[in-house]
Amino acid sequence: MKGFFSSALARGLFWQLIGTLVGAGIVTGIRPLMGLNALDTFFFTEPAWVLGGFFGALFFLGGSGVVSDWYKWARGIDTPEHHEDHHTGAAKYINVSLDHKVIGIQYTITALVLIGIGGLFALIFRTELASSQLQFLTTDMKLFNQNGPQLYNTLMSLHGMIMIVSILLGTAGFINYVVPLLLGAQDMAFPRLNAFSFWIAVPAAVLLLMSLFLGGFDTGWTGYPPLSARAPVGMQMFFLGVFVAGWSSILGSLNVIVTVLRMRAKGMTAWRLPILVWAALATALIALTATQLIGLSFQLVMFQRLFGMGFFDPAKGGNPVLFQHLFWFYSHPAVYVFILPGLGVISELLPVFVRKPLFGYRWIAMSSLGIALVGFVVWAHHMYTSGMNEYLRLPFMYSTLLVAIPTGVKFFSWVATIWKGKISTPTPMLFVLGGIVVFLLGGLSGPPNATVSTDLQLQDTYWIVGHFHDTIFGGFVFPFFAAIYYWFPKATGRRMNETLGKIHFWLMTPSFFVLSLGMMYVGLLGMRRRIVDYDPALGIDNAHFILTIAAFLIALSVIIFLYNFFNSIKNGEKAEGNLWNSRSPEWQVPSPMPAHNYEQPFEVVGEPYDYGLNDGGFVKFVEPAKSKKH
Amino acid sequence: MAHSQNKSSDLGQGVVIFVYLTVLTILEYFVAVSFNATSLLIVVAVIKAALVMYYYMHIYKLNETDESDENSYEYKTGTNRIGLWLFLLSDAFVFAGLLVMRSNLLGLTRPHLNQVLGLGVTAVLLISSFFMNRGETAMKHGDIKGFMNNTIITFVLGLGFLLGVVLVEWRLAAHEGLVASFGNPTVGPLGGVFYMMTGMHAFHVFTGLIFLGVVWNNARKGVYTAEKHYPVEAAAVYWHFVDLVWIFFYPALYLIGTAVQ
Repeated sequence: MKGFFSSALARGLFWQLIGTLVGAGIVTGIRPLMGLNALDTFFFTEPAWVLGGFFGALFFLGGSGVVSDWYKWARGIDTPEHHEDHHTGAAKYINVSLDHKVIGIQYTITALVLIGIGGLFALIFRTELASSQLQFLTTDMKLFNQNGPQLYNTLMSLHGMIMIVSILLGTAGFINYVVPLLLGAQDMAFPRLNAFSFWIAVPAAVLLLMSLFLGGFDTGWTGYPPLSARAPVGMQMFFLGVFVAGWSSILGSLNVIVTVLRMRAKGMTAWRLPILVWAALATALIALTATQLIGLSFQLVMFQRLFGMGFFDPAKGGNPVLFQHLFWFYSHPAVYVFILPGLGVISELLPVFVRKPLFGYRWIAMSSLGIALVGFVVWAHHMYTSGMNEYLRLPFMYSTLLVAIPTGVKFFSWVATIWKGKISTPTPMLFVLGGIVVFLLGGLSGPPNATVSTDLQLQDTYWIVGHFHDTIFGGFVFPFFAAIYYWFPKATGRRMNETLGKIHFWLMTPSFFVLSLGMMYVGLLGMRRRIVDYDPALGIDNAHFILTIAAFLIALSVIIFLYNFFNSIKNGEKAEGNLWNSRSPEWQVPSPMPAHNYEQPFEVVGEPYDYGLNDGGFVKFVEPAKSKKH
Repeated sequence: MAHSQNKSSDLGQGVVIFVYLTVLTILEYFVAVSFNATSLLIVVAVIKAALVMYYYMHIYKLNETDESDENSYEYKTGTNRIGLWLFLLSDAFVFAGLLVMRSNLLGLTRPHLNQVLGLGVTAVLLISSFFMNRGETAMKHGDIKGFMNNTIITFVLGLGFLLGVVLVEWRLAAHEGLVASFGNPTVGPLGGVFYMMTGMHAFHVFTGLIFLGVVWNNARKGVYTAEKHYPVEAAAVYWHFVDLVWIFFYPALYLIGTAVQ
């Protein structure tokens, strides 16, 4: 426990508290001088909370020590880029480390924590929805200054954004861990920036959760004005949290792109890059650029609330639809940020477990980029009913349908890869196959939403909720679990329990099908999104009850997974060799991976996925060049 | 090859580009006051931006990488350059978003602003870019003293721009009715767009000043040499980027469309 209190995490959180008080104190001190009220419902006034939240994030970064190298650099003192970790064991993961493998695990654990919190929120409001009428989120109750339905809105909105942040961190987790290993690099291109990208996500998560206690907000994760312009103070914490989390995504992506461009092993040409690297690159291109627009749109609403600048206020000549354009310019491509790394994992693992070359390697590589680029011109399909100019509907409908082509390329390639393969089904492969099937369902339920005529009916129904849960589970959750089961031995030298892994899979998959198909079913019967209650006359009470049971079963399966995960770190069966019989370079050296990755550099001598062919393998380790050590 | 090894010809190139940029800025101003030609203003801004990106920000250096030794300073510098340009690309999306907002909310109108002051601060920022280029060129040829002197001039001009916008222009704009009164704001999109765009840009000028201060101080301590001075190059590129943004924001706020109260 003593170790915890002196860790970067604890110091950061302590300083975040101090920073929040300092920032809020400054504004609170100035306001009476200007003749304004100093205190409000939540003790501090809204501007005080905003400055406090912002200072809190800055103080966190200073207090955790993640910026101290840059501070030294600014004073002209050079520090080595590859520190040895002073900490060992679990302490390594709550302190600042520049090792991409440690950072990858930090990301992954943080993502799992957030998935737990977001899932808990979902269970609460799912339970309320189990039957019509209000059961425990009633109008009489009061918690954090919110009554039951308001609390429902807050939990539903936070479920969305917490899960989105956890997905961003989860994909960053396996990308950070695996990509430098696949490239044969010692680390990411900018190790300090890499650490910064992770640590800035922690205060962001705290800010997001703070919104729950400051009156919450009722806009859903999209935060549309004019509703978000008059929601409680929690809205501002939400905006601030997303803004700060955005920097994690932007800077992390920058690092990935530069790493892929500059840190490849000898002979690793574009057409010999592992598919996951292509997927990470495509993802990073979106996250690097488009993320700025969600930051900007949220910032504009923040300023509208703080300074009365009427950007989105029609009464002052503003335009609320402009917000939606700015917001969706990021938030649609963002869904490709969520799924492309996962689809990359599927393509990466599939050949290993069917012992066959990946079918159409170049097509898959290009399909990731294709999805990313088309993704930039489809955003207004979220806005068919928003009142935007009608002539915009048709081009956005066709550009959206175009996304199906590169996605279809991936499916055909996966099917052709599986065809006549020698399939084995350990847990990672189960999740890969599950991911393919679930994502197929998500993909097929997409075009009805993209088509204007049907979307006008489906907009804002539970059908949409079912559709995107399918895409996110297929594109992120299943591949994420597959990636954890697959690379867990690389990180720890032990493997996760197979029996528990299979129970996890066989419990989660059918429950998820019930959940997502059920969501679409109630949606078609008239269940609306984001509403705490529904009319018993719709006749969907039983369906909702089954959905709630399915949700709890998924939660149970995740608890089994978490037990398996943490238990296997110490007690798992030893697995130090090439457990999956993979051609990939990271499996050619014993596990766990040493701190500076490969002792000897490798050269690429073959194709990455030529399983079952008798060639010289993908990589060959070479004697280190006889240059002097640095 | 766009850059030569000769110091005086490097400096000469900076002067020529500065003259081009000055002429284009004056042209831009007179086009705007004499007749309404939005598309011409956009073309001029794009030409200015291209000149700055090529001759002041040296974007072609992204191609000049030495692949021989992955642990050399040159290789690391090549990596850093890509990182910085990607950051600027990302940042450009914020400014592009602000321009989209401006055109959506204001269309072919603009706030009523003081034209002389606008041209004045634009000129100050342009001149600061010129001295930044001289400073960086001096460092490239190992002239630390020259770098420090030019950087001080850049810094002072940059500070002048920042104060001119935040202390003078913002107050004048408030008098023009863009903001009713502090603490009781009822400002519409006209003021919102103006303060948001100039504010976001001013914030970048401010960070650029900090960056300049840091490299100036480190140069004073003797950290940089003619061969190893990537932070100086980065500070210069960032400073020119701030100028680049203003190349688009100046016409967007002061020149395009008709002024309304």
